[in-house]
Amino acid sequence: MYFNKNLLWVKVLSWRCALGCCCMHTNMAEPMELLCWGGDWDLPSVHSDSLIVLAYAKFSGAKLAVKSIDWTWRTITASVPQLHYEGSTVTEPAQILNFLRKQAEMKLYIQLYLLSATKSKMTPTCQKKIKTRITELEKGSPPCRFNADYELTAKQGADTMAYIALLEEKLRPALLHTFWVDAENYVNLTRPWFTSHSPFPLNFFVPGRQASLALSRILLTKAESPLLNITEVEGKIYSEAKECLNLLSHRLGNFHFFFGDTPTSLDAFVFGHIAPLIKAPLPSGQLQKHLNQLDNLCQFCNTILKNYFTDASAEKRMDCSLTAPHDPVDANLQKLTQLVNKESNLIEKMDDNLRSSPQHRHETKPSARASERNSPLLSKH
Amino acid sequence: MERYSLICEMSVVHVMSLSTAAAEPWPEKATLYQPLKEDQILLSDSASSLAVQTFLRMCGLPVQVSCCANAEYMSPSGKVPFIHVGNQVVSELGPIVQFIKAKGHSLSDGLDDVQRAEMKAYMELVNNMLLTAELYIQWCDDYTATEISRPRYSSPYSWPLNHILAYQKQWEVQRKMNAIGWSGKSLEQVYEDVSQCCQALSQRLGTQPYFFNKQPTELDALVFGHLFTILTTQLTNDELAEKVKSYTNLLSFCHRIEHTYFKEHDRESQSGSPLKRQ
Repeated sequence: MYFNKNLLWVKVLSWRCALGCCCMHTNMAEPMELLCWGGDWDLPSVHSDSLIVLAYAKFSGAKLAVKSIDWTWRTITASVPQLHYEGSTVTEPAQILNFLRKQAEMKLYIQLYLLSATKSKMTPTCQKKIKTRITELEKGSPPCRFNADYELTAKQGADTMAYIALLEEKLRPALLHTFWVDAENYVNLTRPWFTSHSPFPLNFFVPGRQASLALSRILLTKAESPLLNITEVEGKIYSEAKECLNLLSHRLGNFHFFFGDTPTSLDAFVFGHIAPLIKAPLPSGQLQKHLNQLDNLCQFCNTILKNYFTDASAEKRMDCSLTAPHDPVDANLQKLTQLVNKESNLIEKMDDNLRSSPQHRHETKPSARASERNSPLLSKH
Repeated sequence: MERYSLICEMSVVHVMSLSTAAAEPWPEKATLYQPLKEDQILLSDSASSLAVQTFLRMCGLPVQVSCCANAEYMSPSGKVPFIHVGNQVVSELGPIVQFIKAKGHSLSDGLDDVQRAEMKAYMELVNNMLLTAELYIQWCDDYTATEISRPRYSSPYSWPLNHILAYQKQWEVQRKMNAIGWSGKSLEQVYEDVSQCCQALSQRLGTQPYFFNKQPTELDALVFGHLFTILTTQLTNDELAEKVKSYTNLLSFCHRIEHTYFKEHDRESQSGSPLKRQ
């Protein structure tokens, strides 16, 4: 009785999830919509924060409908990047990444629960724990944190937070200065670009407003007293930024990504910050010159662009998904098992169920309808 | 690798050229200046000052602590604390660490490049989250600002200067919060950020005695300064201290450093330390 009642609940939940949840359907459900600045210089977006979100969406496989705000009134009204989903709005890259992570986690938990529903070997306590977690995620509590990223260990999650703080404190002021305050770059590159991508009459206001915001941010955070002006602060912020780039380069070493072979949120943040600096054709870029000397960071940026942001790579991934549908699914199932291991210690019981699942999923059973409806969830790759 | 070493060499030459005057030995009369301890100093300044004092004790360098009402204005960068060594005046932990390194004392020499990168990153995490949260709670929370921060900050001055200075300082801090995007946060969110930061520190510390195993570094000094001050300062409510107390390894970390480096302080103020009640 308990089993059937829960099965019904999960069917409803997965149906709702399949309708509303972003990542699976391209034809049915309302996808998540991301507002961001448009792209140029070989980049999907010229705006650092937008790049962070776009990169993370690619890494996690979330399907976003990207809407650029260029040539709309949103260039002055919206704070980009902005994610719209089912009537709610999320801003700030950190919040958006949390949201995407939560959606991905919820989807995986639902898959796990549905799989568990087809296998009567799973204990009710385990099912109950999974159900509680799904409900928590649905309600939006507890808040997801970087150090709850299920791909990373606790220490790696803590490291992520620390490095992101380093980027924000040391690198961002210099980036703002390079693009918005340095006279040569601003007049020759940044202002023309943003002016040409804003509608009349906003093109008179948008670049100037961004520039003054950037300047005030630098002065308020880095200029130690009202007596210092921007030229005295410049030397300090550029030397700190160069040090920060050196530190990132040391940390990355010879690896493809910061935590092994798969990209994580930290990779998205670093990519978002350094990609514009590498790719923009800056007339005067001392920081750009410094960054170009750090080969591994340039390589890191180019790898991500090549693997995640070109159409060729997208086609390649689609082909792979047709021929080998089980491989990405198994990777998800491995993540699921790690998740459950964290929440409860029933990994030994779960293992057998999950390993044998691809074959069992296609068998006709009373829950076959659930699994059929569930299959778009699994075939997101 | 060659390029990295070239870049590192360039930065070392830069540091050395700045501090050739700092090659003198550590004098006996080195002084650390901070605002008045009993009446004036606020949570964030007290935390920074304690971090510097801890760092100097870890290096084994004696320093006298001198409390002045106008310490903030004497400081070359407008921030406290600052140290007066010989004829050099250096403020804030970052420059002080570099200055002391030029004098030949360093706690982080034994770290390799990756560890040094981590250490700097965690120090920025503390500055970015903990220090900013402290400033927010002191100056952007109306109740705390009215009850504690403004009266304390302006206590050495007479009317009307006390009001002017207090409001000016509050306005400055609020502008800064606005610029970095913290003005839209609620107090609950700020407490949550503090909790996240403490969780990250706790996870990094694990069961080790110090953040980089056996040897304390400037990161340990900074973390101790902030956490100890949060635990021992009476604010309008205890929520901030409670957030820190929920991480037991951080508590024992503070306890350990207090016992190792502040033994005389312990003997003098036996009754005062809340850590003893744990």
